Amino acid sequence: MRLAVVFTKEAPVRFVSHLDLLRLFQRAFRRAKLPLAYSQGFNPHPLMSFATALSVGFTSRGEYLDVVLTEDMTPAQFIERTAPWLPEGVRITEAFDLGTSRKSLTSAMRSAEYRAAVEFAEPVTKEELNKAISDLLSNEIVVMKKTKGGIKPTDIRPMALGFELIGLDGSAAVFRISGVLSAEGGLNPDMLLAEYYKRLGKAGISDIERVSIRLDRDALMDR
Amino acid sequence: MEISKLNNILKKVEKPTRYTGGELNMRVKELARPDGTKRHRFALCFPDVYEIGMSHLGSRIIYNVLNERDDTYCERAYAPWFDMEAALRENGIPIYSLETHTPLGEFDLIGFSLLYEMCYTNILTVLDLAGIPFLSADRGEEHPLIIAGGPCVCNPEPVADIMDALIFGDGEEVMNEFMDEYSACVKEGADRRGTLERLSKIKGVYVPSFYNAEYGGDGNFKSLEKLWPAAPAFIERRVVMDLDKAVYTGKLVVPYMSIVHDRVALEIFRGCTRGCRFCQAGFIYRPVREREMDTVIKQTDDSLDCTGYDEISLFSLSSGDYSHIHELVPIILDRYEKDRVSVSLPSLRIDSFLKDDLEKIQKVRKTGLTFAPEAGTQRLRDVINKGVTEEDLLRSVHDAFEAGWHGVKLYFMIGLPTETDEDVLGIAELARKVSREFYSMPKELRGKGLRCTVSASTFVPKPFTPFQWEPQIPVSEVLRRQALLRNALKGIRGVEFSCHFSETSRLEAAFARGDRRLSRVLIKAYEYGARLDSWDEHFKKDAWERAFGENGLTVEQFANRRIDLDEPLAWQHMDAVVSLDYLKREHEKAYAERITKDCRKGCNGCFGARCAEFCGKKVD
Repeated sequence: MRLAVVFTKEAPVRFVSHLDLLRLFQRAFRRAKLPLAYSQGFNPHPLMSFATALSVGFTSRGEYLDVVLTEDMTPAQFIERTAPWLPEGVRITEAFDLGTSRKSLTSAMRSAEYRAAVEFAEPVTKEELNKAISDLLSNEIVVMKKTKGGIKPTDIRPMALGFELIGLDGSAAVFRISGVLSAEGGLNPDMLLAEYYKRLGKAGISDIERVSIRLDRDALMDR
Repeated sequence: MEISKLNNILKKVEKPTRYTGGELNMRVKELARPDGTKRHRFALCFPDVYEIGMSHLGSRIIYNVLNERDDTYCERAYAPWFDMEAALRENGIPIYSLETHTPLGEFDLIGFSLLYEMCYTNILTVLDLAGIPFLSADRGEEHPLIIAGGPCVCNPEPVADIMDALIFGDGEEVMNEFMDEYSACVKEGADRRGTLERLSKIKGVYVPSFYNAEYGGDGNFKSLEKLWPAAPAFIERRVVMDLDKAVYTGKLVVPYMSIVHDRVALEIFRGCTRGCRFCQAGFIYRPVREREMDTVIKQTDDSLDCTGYDEISLFSLSSGDYSHIHELVPIILDRYEKDRVSVSLPSLRIDSFLKDDLEKIQKVRKTGLTFAPEAGTQRLRDVINKGVTEEDLLRSVHDAFEAGWHGVKLYFMIGLPTETDEDVLGIAELARKVSREFYSMPKELRGKGLRCTVSASTFVPKPFTPFQWEPQIPVSEVLRRQALLRNALKGIRGVEFSCHFSETSRLEAAFARGDRRLSRVLIKAYEYGARLDSWDEHFKKDAWERAFGENGLTVEQFANRRIDLDEPLAWQHMDAVVSLDYLKREHEKAYAERITKDCRKGCNGCFGARCAEFCGKKVD
């Protein structure tokens, strides 16, 4: 059976890279003695994959992975069985049976929401922060982006679905950012913030959490 | 520590999980015990980067021994990579422990693992970033005790001015005796000096500041005089006789990033019976002490269950020599076949018959095969007492090729005592025969293309080996012999050559046989920017040359000088248990090109009068 799993990546593991996170789960699932299905071939590996990568340093409240098991179990059983074996900072919050679907989780991803806590080097006002947001969003946002064909200027404005100030205390601001996240790519909130600092004329240090990924579960189950 | 400041740094450095801690099975303890007494805080520091330090089995053992004690909390620290060192300095953040992110300066003790000479400058990086003075003499009551253990302690003199105390030998027992005494000193309010005096009474503990070294008019080491009359004359190596009873845990800290030895390493025995004359480990870990097969299996179960690793290494100095190896390998393979656990056997000798085992190992996963003939001719292999023949090697590679391997590594050394050009060219001859062995097999029986890597390191004379008196050949000669070999290997089908840069080997030789004056050289070299010297691409030759020069010393006087057999040795106060007479006899036999038998086949008398105490085999 194939299960989709929603998990957190909190502060203690925020710097664990994508590849290392995969190994983290492989080892945790081995400790839990889950009936993992393995790939064929020279160096067999457990059949599991992430919907998408999370930038190293970001935390997240809801990442997705799918795993193939050789024996059936309910999502609740899966959560219970793995919980004692996960390291601090990783919790499985939900699991669901993917049934006969052969689609990848990645193909069903649509968008994501982020919470960015930004510490500015100097005090800032609500007005200037909001003004810089509308300035930024009212035009193209051209950044130099790494693509397969090299580094190219790219407009990331269409990727930005929302950007708002939700809290301010002295020089510490909190923003909600939402952006496209799909198999074709997505918004990098760090990149958006870098452009934002330029418009604002003030530099900040950000601490970003991915609050959620919107997955079109109907599209996922479609055969 | 300010979390946001650290997070911001970690976003920018390479491999940030080197510096975060929080790994699975990391020990978490309160700083105080339930009755309110403070735990002794011990920072166990491996002076190299995380992925190397985390691969070291000995540190894992000590981490467990110390944390099994209720009165102690042992945390880990490693040397930072260049980017992190710079970031810590720039932000004024002191180096910290991985468990609780506490600055190292706040610990009661910092213990360094000394595994190889080229890590010594990293000790200084750590002390520097902790704000702790380099010299033991400059430290006061407010500073942690700086101690060290590990194989390099057999000649502790190059770090003698830096360390407050060093511990010689197996750590399982002495570490507890050390902490018991330390704890008593704390309770009784002993000062630093008083504490060190009491610690020095423990067998195996060396306090360098209780001695003063004298040098002769020729500039060489002459003697070590006691400054404190009650200090011991000899520091005897500690030996744990029963490994089955030694403390063990399967709950190994499991790193997030991939490390150099990313698997369960299970020590099946300690010591080696072969007596290769260049090999320090072969002498300073005697006698051989095996773990029972049942213990090995139980510990394998524990370790795999607690870590989730899918690979286990049955580890020792010569795993093919384990008494029950042919029983053990199939048992472990069968036991874990369904869990897809692969088994690796490092340090296989080419004269052990392992064909069946190899075929079984291959069923799970093909790991690399490495053979170490060490020298190119039988004559030189007899000189170094390697005890393997060309037939052994060719049979082993034949078996491996038949079992489907097509990649083998062959390890050799250049510059061994008595080596001639004929011996160097012998290496190429041997490689040619290996290549022929492969290509003479029918195509359908062998793998695709041969990938045979011939690797040649430079011989480094080490204390407590029969070659401790031998010079290392000069750099120009190393380069000439490497070129000779490279040339001779050209055109041999499927063979590649890789050789180690010789500058670091030269410095390694100087520090291996160095005396106390090298502590100052070390500090100077550090000030001139020497760091992480075992990483060839970061080796700063100039810094070292200047550091030696300004102290009126040369690398050559330590590395390239033949020491007279009757001359005082800078490490003569260290008692590694193997007798000096035995080392001299072995030295003589080397020049006579005579081999000494494996001591499993009968005692060679290496412990002299102390045979009964440490080994118990009968002297012939």
